[in-house]
Amino acid sequence: MSLSGGALTRIGLLVLAVVVLQVSAIAPIRVLGSAVDLVPLLVAAVALYAGAVPAAATGFAAGLLLDVGLAQDIGASSLVLTFVGYGIGRYRDLRDPAHGLAPIPMGAAATACYGAGFAVVAMLLGKVDTTSVSLFAVRDLLVVVVLNALLALPFFWLVRLALRRELNVDPREQRRRRQGPRDQGPIGLRGLEV
Amino acid sequence: MYDQKAIRRRRATLAVLVALSIGLLTIFFGDSAGGRLQVLQRGVQVVLGPIETGVSVALKPLRDAIGWTGNVLSAQSENERLAGEVAKLRRELAQAQTRGKAAAQVRALEKLSRRPAYPDGVDPVTARVIAQSPTVWYSRVRIDKGTNDGVRVDQPVVSGDGLVGKVTRATGGSAIVTLITDESSAVSAQVMPDSTRGVIKPELGKPEDLLLEFIDPKQRVRKGALVASAGISSSKLESLFPRGIPIGEVQRVDSGEVDLYQRVHVKPFADMRRLDFVQVLTDRPDLEQAEVGLP
Repeated sequence: MSLSGGALTRIGLLVLAVVVLQVSAIAPIRVLGSAVDLVPLLVAAVALYAGAVPAAATGFAAGLLLDVGLAQDIGASSLVLTFVGYGIGRYRDLRDPAHGLAPIPMGAAATACYGAGFAVVAMLLGKVDTTSVSLFAVRDLLVVVVLNALLALPFFWLVRLALRRELNVDPREQRRRRQGPRDQGPIGLRGLEV
Repeated sequence: MYDQKAIRRRRATLAVLVALSIGLLTIFFGDSAGGRLQVLQRGVQVVLGPIETGVSVALKPLRDAIGWTGNVLSAQSENERLAGEVAKLRRELAQAQTRGKAAAQVRALEKLSRRPAYPDGVDPVTARVIAQSPTVWYSRVRIDKGTNDGVRVDQPVVSGDGLVGKVTRATGGSAIVTLITDESSAVSAQVMPDSTRGVIKPELGKPEDLLLEFIDPKQRVRKGALVASAGISSSKLESLFPRGIPIGEVQRVDSGEVDLYQRVHVKPFADMRRLDFVQVLTDRPDLEQAEVGLP
């Protein structure tokens, strides 16, 4: 993805929409005592479709908006989400996951890293008791990871839809190209099926 | 192979973003209450507030629908849990009530044997009723004591309230007791305190109504009078039931002008359909002693 004005606008609007949606509409919905967290999913989706740098920037912006909007410690979420976006983006850059189900592990990993990373930052900031990690927090993180993994496919599809015009390389198109037409043989020539 | 420029740019971006985050954190923690970041935070909240309110209101139906689904699911699971708890508590209550009832019956049995009119020397064996006929037509119960415990056929059986019946069959570990409400039953009885004698027979299908027959019409029988076993009924035929065991009380008296005898309706003291513990009187009392114990 080239960092054009259109791309920045789209990502900015996505960040704003997702953060507002998350804090005002999604967070109150409790499933098994926890709520879906769309923010790490968004960062993971941008990482998958756009790469490490846009994902890190998205993470930073989304984290900053979260921190400012929720009157949290400004910079804490940004720091964690920047690393999450960069890490997932680097994985995408290096391994080029084109599998149709790639959003599920990527969404789950982003959520888990965000939850764990945020806990570490909170501990470093003295917000959490460093001598003990409550079982509730671990359970909550696990439930959020599962919920996000379940939601990853449709959410990634929506993000791809929003960013498709600005994408240099669409992983889905890549996958389609790799598979090749069905009526050709293994080396791409008709009539040479094995 | 790798574009060094791109790598440097990427790393620089990361470094800048991380540095910005840490810088913001540092400034935020060092910021006073009215500091610039706090003002920024409040400003953003002022701007985002209406948007968040709008989104929240707009998506409330969706949120409610999801919440309703979640509530229904959790209510269902809670309902199942509560139903299980109710069933468990009901079982415990039933067990406690059964134990309480059994204890009350055992206490009543003890109390019965201490009554002054109760025959001495009967050597009671306490037994639990383990089976009973579900219909009113067959007035028989099975008890968990048999010949191994000294129980023999024709021995009288009492409950805490009074006479119940007699043993009609006995095996090693159990015995069949035919109740006094069975159509084959007949007990020589007397109305207290006048010792007016007759024979107690059941009215079929009416376990709560016994008939005291063969009462001379000249004898006056009062309602509410106590009816007890009469013991020896004649010099030739010995009663199976020792004298003085309470049977019931007089409910009413039917005395037609053409009838040779009065028909006295007696309500048995023992509830034949709710017997848990009974006593089999395994020994016969000494006749003279029984006479002394008369009420």
